[in-house]
Amino acid sequence: MAVLEMKRIEICALKNQRKKILEFLQRQGAVEINIPETAEELFGKTDTTSARLAFEKSSQTTASAVTVLDGIVPPEKGLPKMLAGRQAITAEQYEKTAQEASSLSKKAAHILLLDKKIADSQAEVLRLEAQIEALNPWLGLDVSMRTKGTQSTSVFIGTFPEALTEGQLKERLAAALPEISCVEAEVVSTQAQQTCVFVVCYGEYGMQVENALRSMGFTYPATPSKLPPPQRVEELQKRIETAKKEEAAAQEEIASYKDLRQDLLFASDYYAMRADKYQVLGELWQSPRTFFVSGYIPAEDSAALQRRLEEEYHAFVEIQTPEEGEDLPVKLKNGFFAAPVEGVVEGYSLPAKGEVDPSAVMCVFYYVLFGMMLSDAAYGILIALGCGIVLLKFKNIEESLRKSLRMFFFCGISTTFWGVMFGSYFGDAIPVIARTFFGTEITIPALWFVPLDNPMKLMLFSFLLGIIHLFTGLAVQLYQLVKRKKYADALYDVGFWYFLVGGLIIFLLSTDMFHNMMSLSFQFPAIVGNIAVVFAAIGAVGIIATSGRESRNPGKRILKGLYGLYNVSGYLSDILSYSRLLALGLATGVIATVFNQMGSMLGGGVVGGIFFTLVFVIGHGMNLAINLLGAYVHTNRLQYVEFFGKFYEGGGRKFQPFAAKTKYFKITEEK
Amino acid sequence: MSIDLSSMADMIFDWNKMGIVFALLGAVLAALLGGIGSAIGVGMTGQAAAGVVTEDPGKFGKVLVLQLLPGTQGIYGLLIGFITLTQIGILGGNPEMSLAKGLLYLAACLPMAIVGLISAKWQAKASVSSISLVAKKPDQFGKAMIFPAMVETYAVLALLISILSIFSIAGLPV
Repeated sequence: MAVLEMKRIEICALKNQRKKILEFLQRQGAVEINIPETAEELFGKTDTTSARLAFEKSSQTTASAVTVLDGIVPPEKGLPKMLAGRQAITAEQYEKTAQEASSLSKKAAHILLLDKKIADSQAEVLRLEAQIEALNPWLGLDVSMRTKGTQSTSVFIGTFPEALTEGQLKERLAAALPEISCVEAEVVSTQAQQTCVFVVCYGEYGMQVENALRSMGFTYPATPSKLPPPQRVEELQKRIETAKKEEAAAQEEIASYKDLRQDLLFASDYYAMRADKYQVLGELWQSPRTFFVSGYIPAEDSAALQRRLEEEYHAFVEIQTPEEGEDLPVKLKNGFFAAPVEGVVEGYSLPAKGEVDPSAVMCVFYYVLFGMMLSDAAYGILIALGCGIVLLKFKNIEESLRKSLRMFFFCGISTTFWGVMFGSYFGDAIPVIARTFFGTEITIPALWFVPLDNPMKLMLFSFLLGIIHLFTGLAVQLYQLVKRKKYADALYDVGFWYFLVGGLIIFLLSTDMFHNMMSLSFQFPAIVGNIAVVFAAIGAVGIIATSGRESRNPGKRILKGLYGLYNVSGYLSDILSYSRLLALGLATGVIATVFNQMGSMLGGGVVGGIFFTLVFVIGHGMNLAINLLGAYVHTNRLQYVEFFGKFYEGGGRKFQPFAAKTKYFKITEEK
Repeated sequence: MSIDLSSMADMIFDWNKMGIVFALLGAVLAALLGGIGSAIGVGMTGQAAAGVVTEDPGKFGKVLVLQLLPGTQGIYGLLIGFITLTQIGILGGNPEMSLAKGLLYLAACLPMAIVGLISAKWQAKASVSSISLVAKKPDQFGKAMIFPAMVETYAVLALLISILSIFSIAGLPV
């Protein structure tokens, strides 16, 4: 249960060490930079915006060059990025490759240029192909499409917007120009909506023929080719070939860079880091010879960092305890068992100033509640095995994913435990298989009881767990109040509620009515019930008297007190809310049973066996997925609403250190 | 000559044999209405989720969780339907029961059927809003998940009452 203590660190050093110190801080990733907004007149800031933008651009260029490269030479199918994690390189390797970054960035720019060339060539090919397409109807023409005629003839090359035969064309011409006889018309090609024609006549009739043709719907082609169409097509095809060759050459050249993939990715990371560094550089206060940087650092890291800064970089370092009212960032640190649920806490909100880190208290409940909702031994083993194998096999997974996997691993173990308690292994798969295929009766008895046989018992147990969970939440509140030395508040806000709710529950357990209703095996004697009522009454009176304690007006105070007492209904609904443990637990078991029963419908034998396997795999896969989601959502809900509602508000700011935020590589510090 | 209506009815069918019919009606209603509710709900949330993925395919995992939230009512309905079927002896056993018992089973199934239908739809609306929340602020996923889960509480409570009733009916002396 720990929110790490934060210290304020102030570093003052000579300017010639500036870059080295910043790089060191970035590699360490232990300090959140927080520089005061004002400083003495001697100090000023440098504008690094343009340098930073240039680095960001280089980072993008190299990353997109890799995307281009991947499109042409697909990378070898390796592990998904999520499992493989970032590749580790040492600081020395980093220094070495960093020197090549600028030449890599040039190569990346060249790759992008080549990519642009490829795109241009592709567009060119498309354009040329469209031109060839347009010339297709004219292939039968063996003169230039721009032919206007000879000295004594006029030539018209164009189209009609309908399908015409040569006979029809001649008939129409004859009808339109009865007095002119020497018009020669030839159909070059005919399509459904277009007829390409070649018409020739004596030059002196040119105008008349043209007018007649126009009145029949004749138009000149939009882009007449100078060469005869067949030659033109040939020429275009040559150009297509050239463009395709260029494209292939560019692709080949890009492909020749395939060994640079890693280096390019590295360069992208390198520039991203430099961009970050320049961002900080721009915030520094600098005098002509010195500079000054400050920030927050977890107390446990501060001594080591101070020593190294002083010894290796001759900096002046001061570690201070932050003042009251400073907005400190929050970093959580927990052990092996509790750290995985930090993500769940963060999903709600990080602890605010003075609040405890709920992870350690919460993790036990989280695992138990999750397990009860899923409660199937086989499902639990599957989850635990899956997460365990991934965790063991892929050491390089990012820390946050590693934590989630560990959380589900523990949840899986808890699920197995509850599954054994309730005798559920893929629902009732074992007896069903034994009965259907082997004709025997095998059942694995539940270690505790089968929930379907006695749902009331499980419901009461759920309520009991709920009460423990809620009271633990109250206990944490008690701890927080005592820690802040608010003893009176501790009694008013926690103590009285313990009296009231605890007293009421014990009283309920001593009544005959409740006893009969729930068919309990034990009953508190009446005297215990009476004592419990007294406690509850003390609690109730206390709550009425103290809930409105911030109001001075006595009437208002009592009213507020009564309203405070009304919160007891909140406890009732909180406790009832835990019945979802029963509901979701039953849901898993019953749906599994449904699938088992469906699978065994065809009976034994080979066909039945195949059918059963199919239904089994699909059905249980689906059931596991849906109930896993349900268990996750509802466990979170019980933690966030019921449990956190008792003591936790959150609102802390996450600790975001100045670090190497790389995407592809992880730089490890040599020790 | 007066006609006795009830004896007329008796001539058409035997009321005392109608128990199993009502019991089955209950089982079917639970699966039917719960399923309808969830189908509507998951459909609504699916549309919203697909919209988010168009803009940012990286959010698929998160919006998928939110899409599936209103899907549970259908499962609870199936659960109640199935438990009822086993209890009333339709899936092997003795399906004989009195009219009163059949009506009791019908009543027991109603909370899940009705609350399932309505809560799934409203949960879907909360879920759609949560999906747009996650689209804008992906880091608030934890909270976004809780809003629809709040609605589901009432489906869980209905499920509980239905389960407890169904299991208690067998032992009643009617």
